[in-house]
Amino acid sequence: MRAGASYTDSVEVNHQIVVRRGHWTIQPRRTGLPPTGVTLTVGFNAMSVVIQIEGLRKTFRTLRGGARVALDGFDMTVEAGQVHGFLGPNGSGKTTTLRALLGLVHADDGRMAVLGRQSPAELPAVAGRVGAIVESPQFFGNFTGRRTLRLLATAGGVPHDRVEEVLDQVGLRDRGDERVKGYSLGMKQRLAVASALLKQPELLILDEPANGLDPAGIREMRDLMRDLAAAGVTVLVSSHILAEIQLICDHVTIISRGRRVVSGPVSEVVSGFDKGEYRVRVAGHERAAEVIRGAGLPVTVHDDHFVVGDLADPAWVSETLGGQGMWVRELTPLTPDLESVFLQLTGTVPEPGAHKQVDDAVRPGAEQDLSVTVVEGDAK
Amino acid sequence: MSLVRAELSRLLARRFTQLMLVLLVGAFVVTIGTTVASSHVPTAAEWERAEFQVVQEESRQEQMQQLCESGQGTTDFCQTLSERKPRLEDYLFGVFVFEREIRDLVYFMVAFLALFSFLVAASFVGAELNSGGMTNLLLWRPQRLTVLGTKLGTLLASVLAVAVVATVGYIASFWVIAQVNGLPGDVDAEFWGDLAMVVVRGLLLGLGAATLGFCLATLGRHTAAAMGVVAGYAIVWEVGARIVMEVVETGRPETFMLSTYLGAWMDGRVTFYDGPCVGSFAECSYSLTWAHGLIVLTALVAVVAVGAFASFRQRDLA
Ligand SMILES: Nc1ncnc2c1ncn2[C@@H]1O[C@H](COP(=O)(O)OP(=O)(O)O)[C@@H](O)[C@H]1O
Ligand SMILES: [Mg+2]
Repeated sequence: MRAGASYTDSVEVNHQIVVRRGHWTIQPRRTGLPPTGVTLTVGFNAMSVVIQIEGLRKTFRTLRGGARVALDGFDMTVEAGQVHGFLGPNGSGKTTTLRALLGLVHADDGRMAVLGRQSPAELPAVAGRVGAIVESPQFFGNFTGRRTLRLLATAGGVPHDRVEEVLDQVGLRDRGDERVKGYSLGMKQRLAVASALLKQPELLILDEPANGLDPAGIREMRDLMRDLAAAGVTVLVSSHILAEIQLICDHVTIISRGRRVVSGPVSEVVSGFDKGEYRVRVAGHERAAEVIRGAGLPVTVHDDHFVVGDLADPAWVSETLGGQGMWVRELTPLTPDLESVFLQLTGTVPEPGAHKQVDDAVRPGAEQDLSVTVVEGDAK
Repeated sequence: MSLVRAELSRLLARRFTQLMLVLLVGAFVVTIGTTVASSHVPTAAEWERAEFQVVQEESRQEQMQQLCESGQGTTDFCQTLSERKPRLEDYLFGVFVFEREIRDLVYFMVAFLALFSFLVAASFVGAELNSGGMTNLLLWRPQRLTVLGTKLGTLLASVLAVAVVATVGYIASFWVIAQVNGLPGDVDAEFWGDLAMVVVRGLLLGLGAATLGFCLATLGRHTAAAMGVVAGYAIVWEVGARIVMEVVETGRPETFMLSTYLGAWMDGRVTFYDGPCVGSFAECSYSLTWAHGLIVLTALVAVVAVGAFASFRQRDLA
């Protein structure tokens, strides 16, 4: 079964679903009961989970006996068709996660699956469908870009025509015969992306692809990712640049010190931090602020405006102030952006207690990852 | 199969491999060139003089023989008395005699090929581990042992191919020189058999050197690691430990030296003076044969190879 494929079947109901502590199981009905005559259609799209990471732990040990905890029970779920941002400050464990997922680093603990196969044990079965670049990849300086790709294509059994296609796709067609040594950082990055695209992957994993790219390059990379996503490729892209993630990603997982801080659709993650704040500009804003505060709403007064929180309906502000002869000149919702969310979340030391709330608010539970829809009645 | 093809083109595309091939050919050309330049077909006068000297030597040997048989010579002298019949070639100077010189020339070639194999092998894997090329490849083929094994296998096959071609070309060149510009000498079936054995041993040595270089570089994750280990071993053990052993008078220090087994393997047999024993060399010596060499060197290569593959299977790759 390919990623994103789903499985549906109709069964005569002779089983029952038992839910216990949030986990469901299907068990045979007790015998002796009369047949129900009800058919259930059980839809099951577990395969739409493209990357599943649970409780990943990794501690790097140095020869001198030092230990650095890179991953401390990290979880992540990426579903088919997502452009999933993987966000975290430097050293938070993004690269380590991706390396472990791709079998380059041995995890100390945890479970990982890629395209429905366990990693690293069953990785060879799906490697041909996963394109990846991990940290700025290095190439042989003496080889030309074209030759580098050809060698990879040979090793992976990809026809050489594909080399020309990807060179074109990443904008290196005319520079393909130059030695990689002479490439700029951005060109090397493009070559890396080209190598990841070579096998026409269903899943593309990019570690900080914007590294070293000029603004035009970043925009091209963004467009490329959009095109790929539109073509049905699932993209997991790590970055510490928030604006970039917010522009191209629909889902995001934020990591800090080796733990997941929050994850979910970008809009939800951001709106989870929406405190209903509005900026209000009005002549005599200090007096106006008093009026609003008098109504019991939290207000912070600034030099030439004030900010009101917990506001359900902004019209109430203009109505209230207008009723007192104060005419509102500006009423702007202060929606948080990913950056403020990110800073807020990662600025704190991740304590299990403190993060639980955040996690609980937006984190799709494990049961939802394996989404099972049970439709009663004869669906056929 | 595709992996083998990819590895082969990687190997051939490497600058270092190309450079080493050029050096290899260069060294052979220089050796062959100097041989050609310093050899000539003997003139009639030279033949005559040589024939005369052979006759002289034969009669001298006969006299010695008689002297010893009549019990007049010292035992030592009579024991070392050459039994080899004098030959014409021994008295033709500036003439390349194939039979007499090819063995040393082949030893030179074997040494060069072993060095070549070691360096090419170490850099083949070292550069890739160091540059991240290996990581790239593993993203395509996430089977570490297969990838490393294919790499080593491809390398050994290539080294063997180069070594066979080089050896055949090298020996053939000298054969032609002997025919055109020198003398073949006394070449019989036994001679060719011996030469073939030297060549086979040399080829195996080259393969061993390649495996060792490859595995040491894998263990150390760097080309330089392989060379460092060899240089370190040579200085610390072959020189340093040997001196210490001589000072504390360890018996048979040669048995602890890899160079001994290398010599035994290539020469077939090496003989050393046996420390505390008192008497003539013949009474107080011990020998190590090619079989000893084979066992020790194979064990060494096997241990390093198992270590390299085991370590590569487990380690975290940058
Ligand atoms: N090979 C390594 N040896 C020791 N520590 C490492 C190694 N790789 C990563 N680390 C450490 O693990 C942590 C996570 O690193 P990394 O995953 O590279 O972070 P990110 O990609 O998010 O910037 C960092 O503290 C880093 O220093
Ligand atoms: Mg990183």
